[in-house]
Amino acid sequence: MSKDSKMRATINQKLTEMGERERLKELLRAKLTECGWRDQLKANCKDVIKEKGLEHVTVEDLVVEITPKGRVLVPDSVKKELLQRIRAFLAQHAT
Amino acid sequence: MKMEDMSLLGLDNTKLEALAQDIYSDLVEDSCLGLCFEVHRAVKQGYFFLDDTDQESMKDFEIVDQPGVDIFGQVYNQWKNKECVCPNCNRSIAASRFAPHLEKCLGMGRNSSRIANRRIASSNNVNNKSESDQEDNDDVNDNDWSYGSEKKGENKTINPNSPRRSKSLKHKNGELSNSVNADPYKYNYNTGINYETLGPDELRSLLTTQCGVISEHTKKMCTRSQRCPQHTDEQRRAVRVFLLGPSASSLPDADTMVESDCYDASDGQVLMSRLQWDGSSDISPSDSASSKASTNNSDSKKPKKKKTSLGLNSTGGGGGSGSGGGSTGGGGGSGGGSSSQSSLVGLANRKKKPKLPVPPAPSIYDNLN
Repeated sequence: MSKDSKMRATINQKLTEMGERERLKELLRAKLTECGWRDQLKANCKDVIKEKGLEHVTVEDLVVEITPKGRVLVPDSVKKELLQRIRAFLAQHAT
Repeated sequence: MKMEDMSLLGLDNTKLEALAQDIYSDLVEDSCLGLCFEVHRAVKQGYFFLDDTDQESMKDFEIVDQPGVDIFGQVYNQWKNKECVCPNCNRSIAASRFAPHLEKCLGMGRNSSRIANRRIASSNNVNNKSESDQEDNDDVNDNDWSYGSEKKGENKTINPNSPRRSKSLKHKNGELSNSVNADPYKYNYNTGINYETLGPDELRSLLTTQCGVISEHTKKMCTRSQRCPQHTDEQRRAVRVFLLGPSASSLPDADTMVESDCYDASDGQVLMSRLQWDGSSDISPSDSASSKASTNNSDSKKPKKKKTSLGLNSTGGGGGSGSGGGSTGGGGGSGGGSSSQSSLVGLANRKKKPKLPVPPAPSIYDNLN
């Protein structure tokens, strides 16, 4: 499936070059803050920190704990909107 | 289309969808990582927990959700039934009425000077004849505190200063029959003086300070000021001729006019001297407003015309009105000081201030004095 991977690579490249990736990132960040996702996860972080101890918590600890929860907690509306935009981009620029 | 292309497109679609999903999850992971880095840095730098409050404070300031109480736990109408003691008159006043009462009590509000002037005007009248009832008048206006028996009468009394007072009365100017009917509402007692019972000296003193025009209906003299708009100067002169004889038909000259002109400032000074306040300039706007209100009309042009019609006092009148305007502006100090003694006598006179720009006329004033 090298075609796929090539295609993927091309598209990713285009995404980054055109700045669409950054725009999508910003959009996602704004939406997640707006809907309270960030605060939710921060509260989870607090729990992790209290669990592991303030002095010894590492980035890895946090990442391992937080990322799966984060993925799940994204609201559907945000997910849909982002996917829509990505698809639009792909439709426009793929092949 | 070629089969390959179609299949490619078909594959591409699902692949595209998968691709989209991958891109999406990449973005979400980026956000999560960003958050983790932020939190970790905050922890290591020590500012992560800064915006939290300790548990005790949280309990202290918790949102209150009880009925009858706001979210801070304060009772809404806590001050409704409380009573304060007025430092000036030492009466106990309800809290919600305390501020207006203090205004009147100290004589510093918008209405209070008007009421005081009216009271003085009425007491001047009353000294001549009937019993003085000043205390009741004051209490009638001061609705915060009253004797228990007077409560019913209070609300029914027409407030002369309220704008709702019938404007129809104003339009009946110039008719003798209506002038005295208006006055009882204004002064809350039986105004009007029966000229038959007064001696010539009393008549003369009355006529120098008051309008004096005799009403056809009630045969009583108008107790309003010399500049009362309901009567013309001709009427006043006629009354004086009738009462005092043709030789004594002199309407007040420049001196009394000056006195009553500067009455505003001096009156204010008398009231304010207790409180030892600086500057008659603070007082004069309220005084001029009160003088306008107490004469109870809005026509400021009439006095001008009336003054020019007087053969005797045209120059004096012009100077008087000019200096009257000047007295309220700034020259009130000199004029007010000199005639403060006599002004208390001629208290019934309330000059309407014609709407002149304040001329700088302290020099004229000094000449008149």
